[in-house]
Amino acid sequence: MILPAALFSHYRRHPLQLLALAAMIVLATMLWTGVHHLTSQARVSLDQSESAVAERQQVKRTDGDRVSVADFVELRRRGLCVMPWMEVADPDAGRLVGVDPLAAGCFGDPGQDQEPWQRELDGRPFMDIAEAAELAGQHGSALSLLVSDAHSAADLPSGYQLAPFRVGPETGELGDSFLLNLDALGVLVLLITALLVRSVYLLGLAQRRDSFALLHRFGVSRGRINGLLVVEILLLGLVCIVPGIWLGRWLAIGLGSGFGRALEGLFDQPLYAGQGGGWLKPMVTMQAVVLVACLTDVLRPLGRRLSGGSRGFAGLLLLMLITGLAWSVWASALVWLFMAVAMVFVAAGALAPMLISRLADGQAGRDKDPLARWRHRELSVLARRLALPLVALQFALAMVLAVQALVTTFESTFDRWLAQRLAAGYYIEVPDAVDPGPVLDWLSEQQALASSGVWHQVVRGEATLMGTAGKQDTVVDVFALGPVGPLVTGWQLFESVAEPWQRLRQGQGLMVNEQLARRHGINPGATLPVQLGGGRLDLPVLAIYPDYGRPAGEILLDVAVLPPGFVPDFQSLSISPGTFSIEAIKGQLEQMWQVDEVVVRDNRAIEALASAIFDQTFLLTRAMTALTLILAAIALLMMGWVFFSTRAWYFGLLVVWGLSRRQASAQLTRLAVALTSMIAVLALPLGIWLTWVLVHRINPLAFGWSLPMAVYPPFWAELGVLSLLVGFSIALLMHRQLQVQASAPASASALAGGER
Amino acid sequence: MDSLLSARGLNKQFVSGGEPVSVLTDLSLELARGESLALTGRSGSGKSTLLNILCGLETPDAGRVEVLGESFDSQRPEAGGKTGTRWGNLRRQQIGVVFQEANLMPALSLLDNVRLRARLAGHEQRNCQDWLERLGIGELAARYPDQISGGQRQRAALAMVFAMKPALILADEPTGSLDRHTAGAVIGQLFELQARHGCGLILATHDPELAARCSQHLDLGHRPEV
Repeated sequence: MILPAALFSHYRRHPLQLLALAAMIVLATMLWTGVHHLTSQARVSLDQSESAVAERQQVKRTDGDRVSVADFVELRRRGLCVMPWMEVADPDAGRLVGVDPLAAGCFGDPGQDQEPWQRELDGRPFMDIAEAAELAGQHGSALSLLVSDAHSAADLPSGYQLAPFRVGPETGELGDSFLLNLDALGVLVLLITALLVRSVYLLGLAQRRDSFALLHRFGVSRGRINGLLVVEILLLGLVCIVPGIWLGRWLAIGLGSGFGRALEGLFDQPLYAGQGGGWLKPMVTMQAVVLVACLTDVLRPLGRRLSGGSRGFAGLLLLMLITGLAWSVWASALVWLFMAVAMVFVAAGALAPMLISRLADGQAGRDKDPLARWRHRELSVLARRLALPLVALQFALAMVLAVQALVTTFESTFDRWLAQRLAAGYYIEVPDAVDPGPVLDWLSEQQALASSGVWHQVVRGEATLMGTAGKQDTVVDVFALGPVGPLVTGWQLFESVAEPWQRLRQGQGLMVNEQLARRHGINPGATLPVQLGGGRLDLPVLAIYPDYGRPAGEILLDVAVLPPGFVPDFQSLSISPGTFSIEAIKGQLEQMWQVDEVVVRDNRAIEALASAIFDQTFLLTRAMTALTLILAAIALLMMGWVFFSTRAWYFGLLVVWGLSRRQASAQLTRLAVALTSMIAVLALPLGIWLTWVLVHRINPLAFGWSLPMAVYPPFWAELGVLSLLVGFSIALLMHRQLQVQASAPASASALAGGER
Repeated sequence: MDSLLSARGLNKQFVSGGEPVSVLTDLSLELARGESLALTGRSGSGKSTLLNILCGLETPDAGRVEVLGESFDSQRPEAGGKTGTRWGNLRRQQIGVVFQEANLMPALSLLDNVRLRARLAGHEQRNCQDWLERLGIGELAARYPDQISGGQRQRAALAMVFAMKPALILADEPTGSLDRHTAGAVIGQLFELQARHGCGLILATHDPELAARCSQHLDLGHRPEV
């Protein structure tokens, strides 16, 4: 026991170092577990939803009315295998699906032991339909009737038809892409936290090397010392990772509801059920990360042999950087794109401290003033010695820069887009089962409305894009409006033919949203075969318009183009009444439609609500990046402080040679600030490149829509100020050390100038 | 003789294990230009503390120091950090300090170390190479401290001190980490240059032979280990 006691005595002397290492492991575990937990739960929910509805079909009424319990009874009496599926939107519990296990019995699949909902009927998300029906009274619900695949359309009684069953737009590929995005964020977080853990561990290790050398001289083998170090880090990992996972789960729970809403907002589909996650995977992963991060020194000689010296290594890194950059332009799948991003990050991270060091050495060679030369040589040493926390800070800065730019771009683009979509002052829902025709005629006749206001009718439903050249048919959303007027003609269009709005008004074509255009490679001028209400239309594409925040493909056309057989899902009116009173319009509509109350919504309130949901959507990303940045800044602060302490003697020499303590502190401040500023400057191109990758490469592949590339110099200034603050903080901490007389360096290597 | 340094009634206490321990008690000394003074005494007897006080790196609890016409009284602290500035100016231009080890900036070559010291003293840097030549390490000018031996490092430290053309040299066991042969060579060069340039020298040492080479000798005596 004497040997371990001697080996670990360092931490008895420096308990704060042990505490810092433990805190770093706990924080790193918490951060990664939080991200991993959210991602894996979203994946589980998505898988459940997809497996539950895979290859299913439903029965719909041909008259367009929604199916009811009476329809279920009718179909069962006819001997059809039908199961009710009731979705309830509970704001607290998230998405709930009520199913009837008895009715599901006839869905038995010989290849599958159990149906997905039979495994869990505990409200996560599946529950018994009786409970769902109770909840449906308090919240909104939608009933569908699933029918066994064994039945064909010929088995159905008249008045019913078969339709594919899906709970939202086809999210399969997009959902996976989004989860891959989250996984990438998780890997990046893991990388940064590993660097931080390593930097804090190395800090203590550097001070313990003399003790190890002494023990070795006393006859203890290096293998035994290394073995004890492995045991030490394993034990510390075990002690710290458990509370870290626990905290990470709490973090995930805390962010879960917002995250769920974010997913729902992005995919029009609830993807997050928030089940409890496992402990084993985070435990094993973090233990491995801590072990590798702390004990990679064993692998270093091998790495050096492979790289063939520092010059060759730099060349290899440069090649990797160029290859990664080129690959990021051409990669067609998200997974390859992430590989390219990883290559660029690894190369840029390894090159940054080298570059700072070489620049500082170069400047020192040109300096005439010996004091400036000394300062630049010290800067070179610092860049090499603090490489790990510097790279962690560089990555964190680049990530924050990119995410901030992405969010701000999205914010401004989304706001502009939303303002275009909600250009009218009011939005009026047309009740089910009323004919809007007379009201449309009445509105057209109102001179006051025509002279000072503007309005149009919106009809939403579904159409089928006919597959060509071996492609399958695709169900798309229909967005029909009329009359086409000033409420829409100001919309931004990505690409269009000449006079697109005029031709749309004349029924000479349709427009498609960006998502549909990207997915099917549609360009303006192409002709699309569309099945609408039982009839087929071949319409030219007039334009491609932006449609943010959801993955569904959509076509936009004049309402007059819709054939009489088209069954709308939903109808509404958008009105800016001008001098005409909205109350008068509302009263007239209630009278004509013979309803007690017409729902009139203020579009400005809807706009505010949408903006609030948007803010919620990006809260998670912002919180994660900010937390990572704070961690990186703290790690650099700690490492900088401890490393500067080992150089305190040399700053003390300046005082011995006649510089005042204030002048010596000024030199120290210039050094620390130069270091953090340079890493911020190097983070800038990486951050701008990452912004480009996010908006132009990852976003279209993951969500189906792109954003304009924009840079925000005020963010650069903010991050510059932050890096200056870190530099000043290091200098401030060191300034305190300069107040007391430093002792001469203790180790032989330091005396000989080994830290050159 | 022209007085270079005088100290009167110096007292200094440290606190060790919660108990005050006197390191210097009512100590006085005098040094003229061209003279050398050996400080001897066991480890912890206060040699380094006295040297630090004589160059303003530490403040005595009581007593007065006068160096090159500048007077410092511990009982009369000056406002606005003027005391620190005056001591700083003296160390920069007039007082050369040599420690047992770690006298060089590790990130600079030997020549750049000497240049830095000369620049801080306000002297031209053209003669810096000459100082390295005179101390027999001219060919090592481009080397870094970790690339040369301990004796060569101490010679470089002496070159730095002489490049600043000091009036007073304070050397704290400058050859303590060197072997006897190398130590003899280094200390010989120190005495030779001190005599040639007529500056004062205060040398803290454990070596009685070395102490005997100085014109004055002050034994700080025996006292318990701090």
